[in-house]
Amino acid sequence: MSLALEICRITEEQVGRETLPRVREVGLLVGEDSGVEPENLEFCLQALLDHPPFEGARVAMSLDPGDDLRVTYLEVDDGGSTH
Amino acid sequence: MAVRRIEVRERVMAKNDELAADIRRRLGTHGVTSLNLVSSPGSGKTTLLERTLQELGPELRMAVVTGDVQTENDAERLARWTERLVHAVVTGGACHLDARQVGTALHELELADLDLVFVENVGNLVCPASWDLGETAKVVVFSVTEGEDKPLKYPKMFRVARHAVINKTDLLPYVPFDVDKAVAFAREVNPGLEFFFTSALTGEGMESWYDFLRSHARAPARA
Repeated sequence: MSLALEICRITEEQVGRETLPRVREVGLLVGEDSGVEPENLEFCLQALLDHPPFEGARVAMSLDPGDDLRVTYLEVDDGGSTH
Repeated sequence: MAVRRIEVRERVMAKNDELAADIRRRLGTHGVTSLNLVSSPGSGKTTLLERTLQELGPELRMAVVTGDVQTENDAERLARWTERLVHAVVTGGACHLDARQVGTALHELELADLDLVFVENVGNLVCPASWDLGETAKVVVFSVTEGEDKPLKYPKMFRVARHAVINKTDLLPYVPFDVDKAVAFAREVNPGLEFFFTSALTGEGMESWYDFLRSHARAPARA
């Protein structure tokens, strides 16, 4: 859970608090030797992303052989009409 | 709908690790050893510290940063034995201490007047394993009323710890805990783990723990 909270903090630092409701996807890289149980982290993080200030951003996790644990990208909906 | 993608590539622990490195530098400058005490709730961390402060207080200059989440109970117990006690600011429900909290807490202490700092982490064998607090070493405490398979259930914690205290040994006659099995499980996860067997309640086994603290307080780099 602590890691999920830290990922939310990094997200806020990147996009600013007012943009958090418009975050659509949080991309993560999870190393197999990072000591993190991917399903567990995803569950905790999704629970946080389903509640304000977030509005249902998805977790997109990719696994890696190393011991890395990173936020790789964020997708933000800037609104406007569909093209 | 315009979806913008922001490349981040930030390690989740980057900010914490940077703050932890800063703590390590500050402690190193003053030759202070820092031990991060981690365990599940109720393993006896506070009792271990109470006895240590009481019995080793005349010899070593020790401070405690405590992270009790909801109450002042631990701090009140420890305050009887040391004036160098800082309560880390932990928001309600947090499951671990982070380097920012510990770094702030250490500002309350005169590091030049210290040999040893104990950080009494939040009782939790999962989250605190991931958080570097700038300590010299993590010490995992587990008690004989717990299962001896704790090291297998929480391998990350036992892997990152350098020392283990098996506590409440006075209860061994009354519980089915198998000490040899516990040690074997822990060494399976971390072959280099150094053990102490204590009853912080009766004082049994505390002397080897004190010898360890004495030696490391005098040679902080080796802990």
